Amino acid sequence: MAGCKPKSAPVTPVGDYSGRVVIDPINRIEGHLRIEVEVENGRVKNAWSSSQLFRGLEIILQGRDPRDAKHFTQRSCGVCTHTHALASTRCVENAVGVQAQIPETGLVLRNLLLGAQFLHDHIVHFYHLHALDWVDVVNALSASPKKAAEITNTAGLGHRKHTVAEFEATQARLKKFVAGGQLGIFTNAYFLEPHAAYKLPPEINLIATHHYLLALKVQLLPSRMMAIIGGKNPHTQSLYEGGITCYDALKPENIAQFKALFLETMDFVNQFYIPDVLAVAPYYLDWGGIGHTTHFHTCGEFATDESDLNSRFLPQGVILNNDLSKVADFDLKKVEEHVAHSWYKDDSPKHPWKGVTDPLYTSLDEMETGKTGRYSWMKAPRYDGLSTEVGPLAQCLVSYARGHKQTTALVNLVLKHLGVGAGALFSTLGRTAARCIETKVIGDEMVEWIAKLEANVAAGKTDIVAPFKMPESAFGVGFVNAPRGALSHWIEIAGGKIKNFQLVVPSTWNLGPRCDKGILSPVEEALIGTPVFDPKRPVEILRTIHSYDPCIACGVHVIDPKTNETYKFKVC
Amino acid sequence: MTAEAEKKILVLGLGNILLRDEGIGVRVVERLIEQYEFLDNITLMDGGVRGMILMDPIIQADHIIVIDAVLNDQPPGTVYRLEGDDVKLSMAFKNSVHDMDFLETLCCCELVSGKRPSAVIIGIEPKEYQTDPSLDISQELLDRIPEMIVKILQEIEAAGGSYTPKAA
Repeated sequence: MAGCKPKSAPVTPVGDYSGRVVIDPINRIEGHLRIEVEVENGRVKNAWSSSQLFRGLEIILQGRDPRDAKHFTQRSCGVCTHTHALASTRCVENAVGVQAQIPETGLVLRNLLLGAQFLHDHIVHFYHLHALDWVDVVNALSASPKKAAEITNTAGLGHRKHTVAEFEATQARLKKFVAGGQLGIFTNAYFLEPHAAYKLPPEINLIATHHYLLALKVQLLPSRMMAIIGGKNPHTQSLYEGGITCYDALKPENIAQFKALFLETMDFVNQFYIPDVLAVAPYYLDWGGIGHTTHFHTCGEFATDESDLNSRFLPQGVILNNDLSKVADFDLKKVEEHVAHSWYKDDSPKHPWKGVTDPLYTSLDEMETGKTGRYSWMKAPRYDGLSTEVGPLAQCLVSYARGHKQTTALVNLVLKHLGVGAGALFSTLGRTAARCIETKVIGDEMVEWIAKLEANVAAGKTDIVAPFKMPESAFGVGFVNAPRGALSHWIEIAGGKIKNFQLVVPSTWNLGPRCDKGILSPVEEALIGTPVFDPKRPVEILRTIHSYDPCIACGVHVIDPKTNETYKFKVC
Repeated sequence: MTAEAEKKILVLGLGNILLRDEGIGVRVVERLIEQYEFLDNITLMDGGVRGMILMDPIIQADHIIVIDAVLNDQPPGTVYRLEGDDVKLSMAFKNSVHDMDFLETLCCCELVSGKRPSAVIIGIEPKEYQTDPSLDISQELLDRIPEMIVKILQEIEAAGGSYTPKAA
């Protein structure tokens, strides 16, 4: 097992800086996020998460046909594409009362489509959005390609066998790229000068960088899987209240193509993604004690009956106070959105069915001068008044605590490999491992769903959508556990049109501001205590931020091409 | 089939059609598709503002002809042909945080695949691109489209491709 584990656990160094650190904009996320922290003697003492962008989708939807909601809301984002369309579809299905009538084959197709989204999102996130916080690409240039091949081929982590030549080739191309001066994706990277917080040996840096580049090609595969069922990607088109409309996806040649793409994607998950996480994690074991949060919830996912959250393959649930011995059922009545620290009129927290979107920008000054007034375009969702984290870690913990067989096996495997207890899961390291575990759990189950699809088509069960009637008035809600966590759309229909529509988005749960009681959001809580070695290159803060896979939702900023934008701290 | 005929050529129109003249590259490709038939080794593509997503078609090509708006402080409608180092200079034009740098995409292609196709740009100086969104292209540019098409067809022939006009 040469070279695959450190002799003694490296420790993230603590600097001696005291003062403010602002990272704006955060890169390698989706959207516009500003993070400000107060550092004291090298550790984060206080934190503010500010979403810098207002979209107004909820306002745009008023007065429209409820069936159009999915097309508008899906344009929230092209990264977590499809998920909003599914939430809107489920929301309106709930309002019109067709959920229990959706044909089984339609549900299987919907689950396969969402499953492909997870495969795409999590692979891209680990490699292209998160890895550079842990992997030093420049240091990879000092690696021995021979030693790197030894690690992949003999360390027993599950890697596919590599040749020395392929590591040599990547290293040579990397050398040329870095020397060429056009640093592209590595511009302003924190590792351009040596950074003490980066702990991987050169060979693991080379392995991870080699896979980062491979993953750029691999991510096309699940993206194409989605297009087979969704019609196109990004922004799938085939969902409809009552099921799905992609009849072409039932054709044997299209199912065969889906399957081929899927198998190649899972090869990558099994022989690259999982082994890489297992290779990197031991060098950052102390991150099992950084990035801690306390409460979690998930609405579960992959339904066999859309009218019942408990029919979902991944279970719903709420975990409070890090107590894995108690899992409560998710109760939609306990969801509230607060605006006391957000740029909206009206201070009182509201349930989404009574939600109001009335923007009123003040300024960031209140945050800058030390008082925490209003500082974000995000509202602050709270569950039963508590700040609850959502996402792969929340789902993993609930699944684990409920004894979900496939999840439990993988969690125990990872904990054993790292030599840590379940307490280490409540951390940035845990969050990162959970994302990987979730990818495999879902991917492995997709094998069953493909088999079901083939069997149903062979048996002539090719109904995929059920009819419904639009009511004059109704309330509805749709829950999706998206790759980033619990997503819900809430509708009030009046006169057959949208009277009110509210989106409560996973990144709002995780990255919103304080609520009216001043309780920190999950990311703000997670940042407390984080060591910061170099305030000009605060990679430690990014490690936790990125572990949430933020998706703040894009908008257009016009940049004058003739001026140079500069920021307080550039982020790679 | 000679080696030349096998050469894969990608004719790539770039730009944002919602930002008036910035979308000229896409519109020119649309005209080419309307007006001509091309052999199988030539792909015409609306690349939009798709940035890194274009890596796959780029890696598969041997030669790329890019059509795009280019800022060069000349009168609107001035047509350019850029290759080599000039490509680097022209590609830094960004008008939103979503504009992916095409040059970065080319560099990443080489990093990922070891392959970097040769590229030439047929560009045109835009007039209106910082106004409110609209699909209308300025007349000065519309008038130069036939000239751009002639230049693009010449590039295709020089790269070993061939085409026939479609019946009117």
